[in-house]
Amino acid sequence: MCEVRMSDIHFSYNNNVAIDNISLTISQGDFVAVVGPNGAGKSTMLKIMAGLIKPTRGQVMIGGKDMATAKGHGLIGYVPQNYGKNAMGFPATVKEVVALGLTLGSAAAKKNRQAAKHITSHMMELVGLEQLQDRRIGELSGGQQQRVMVAMALAANPELLLLDEPTSGIDYEASNRIYELLGTLNKNLGITIIMVSHDIEKAVSYANKVACINRKLCFFGTSQEFDATHAQVRHLWYYTG
Amino acid sequence: MEFFQYDFIQRALLAGLITGIVCPLIGSFVVVRRQSLIGDGLGHIAFAGVTGGYMVGLYPVVGALILTVTGAVGIELVRRRHTEFADMGLAIFFYAGAAMAIIFSTMTRMPSTGLLSFLFGSIITVTIADVITIACAGSLVLAVVYFLFDKLMLMSLDEDIANVAGINTGMINMLFSILTAIVVVVGMTIVGILLVSALMIVPVATAHLLRVGFKATMGWAVVFSMSSVLIGLTSSFYLDVAPGGTIVMTAILLYIIMTLVRQCIALKERREDPILSSPGNK
Ligand SMILES: Nc1ncnc2c1ncn2[C@@H]1O[C@H](COP(=O)(O)OP(=O)(O)O)[C@@H](O)[C@H]1O
Ligand SMILES: [Mg+2]
Repeated sequence: MCEVRMSDIHFSYNNNVAIDNISLTISQGDFVAVVGPNGAGKSTMLKIMAGLIKPTRGQVMIGGKDMATAKGHGLIGYVPQNYGKNAMGFPATVKEVVALGLTLGSAAAKKNRQAAKHITSHMMELVGLEQLQDRRIGELSGGQQQRVMVAMALAANPELLLLDEPTSGIDYEASNRIYELLGTLNKNLGITIIMVSHDIEKAVSYANKVACINRKLCFFGTSQEFDATHAQVRHLWYYTG
Repeated sequence: MEFFQYDFIQRALLAGLITGIVCPLIGSFVVVRRQSLIGDGLGHIAFAGVTGGYMVGLYPVVGALILTVTGAVGIELVRRRHTEFADMGLAIFFYAGAAMAIIFSTMTRMPSTGLLSFLFGSIITVTIADVITIACAGSLVLAVVYFLFDKLMLMSLDEDIANVAGINTGMINMLFSILTAIVVVVGMTIVGILLVSALMIVPVATAHLLRVGFKATMGWAVVFSMSSVLIGLTSSFYLDVAPGGTIVMTAILLYIIMTLVRQCIALKERREDPILSSPGNK
């Protein structure tokens, strides 16, 4: 079970309110697109879910565990914005980085070298990087680096995948492949996905739920409901918050 | 070879080779964590420890160890608080170390030959006690790097991902900072305070030129570092100069040679590539 329940979440950086009273419940197996203008608090919300920052007020429960007390959830895979702070020029091969994912997960796979090897190569196959496994990640394109980070997160066998703008700065073809990949992971492996995206049309077409935030939660519902709302209303969410 | 028959040479070689292993091991992480100057900062604090220790009658290595580890804890605490100006915090520790070293050394009138051997490294002054201390400290560093390897590598790539997984990054960062301090003190005896940091960085830079994976880069860095120590110590003996200079100059020569080799390979590849070498294709 990996239900995400946020209740009355509030967060401010010093005196700057980034998240204002957001409550929402994401069910197991959902694929949620989080959309909103720049500076709306999307990354902040994702970090709160991941347990990286503690909300000023409110409670986050993931899979029935309170994130305020849970030390390392084990079920959560997090793919940060800009695919890893130091990924540029990082002297590690794709294979090495994906294998690092095993460090994140439960101990079982780490102990068994054979199993570890198998999982690593399976994950690279899943994201279509098996041909590049001996290349250094610093020498890959943005889309390829992003897929490495997804594969690393997957190697930990997460039930919930949090991704922060996985397609920013990536060309059309490559971002399509990432969306396809996430859709497949969600459908075939039942992984709950919460993805921040600036590419609304595309994200909404792959996701089954949409959360539109601008400090507050402006909309939370199914993609169909989101599509049905009038463009004028969406404009209002976007620019007045 | 008469060279290897002297007891003091054997001690220096042993101490030097241990130094040659641990410096690039720690250095591999230091470089990707964008902390290349931390060794210099800690080196200055170690110098204050040596002179301060002399003043209060401590074995210099112990004095250096105490003050450098304390400094490392301080540097890590400041880095944690001011992530955006981390190098400024480091600079202040750097100057504090140098300032204290000047005060202590002029107060105690420490003989300048002693001072110089700590600054430039030495092969004749290495004692059995030094070798034992270096071996113990070196084993500790090896053990910690072995057990924390994956975590250190992941944290160098992205600390947030490690945090989400529940890795105690605060504790590991602190431990790593302390290990770096220990390595600086280990390297101080042979390479000297002024250049110990170079042995953490230069062999790693050379290994990066090979464009291999993380573990392979680390392995090659150790190879380059140990070769530099061997060649540097030998030439230091025959030229009768302090080993710090010859060891680091050797490491830098290896770097230059490797850069040239890479350039040649790149040129050759370009010439053999039918598209790149075709006329009108720039
Ligand atoms: N580390 C920080 N310190 C201070 N303010 C921040 C920090 N990170 C984000 N903010 C501010 O919080 C708000 C929300 O930021 P963020 O969550 O990154 O938005 P988004 O991801 O939707 O673009 C913005 O106004 C931003 O300037
Ligand atoms: Mg953001």
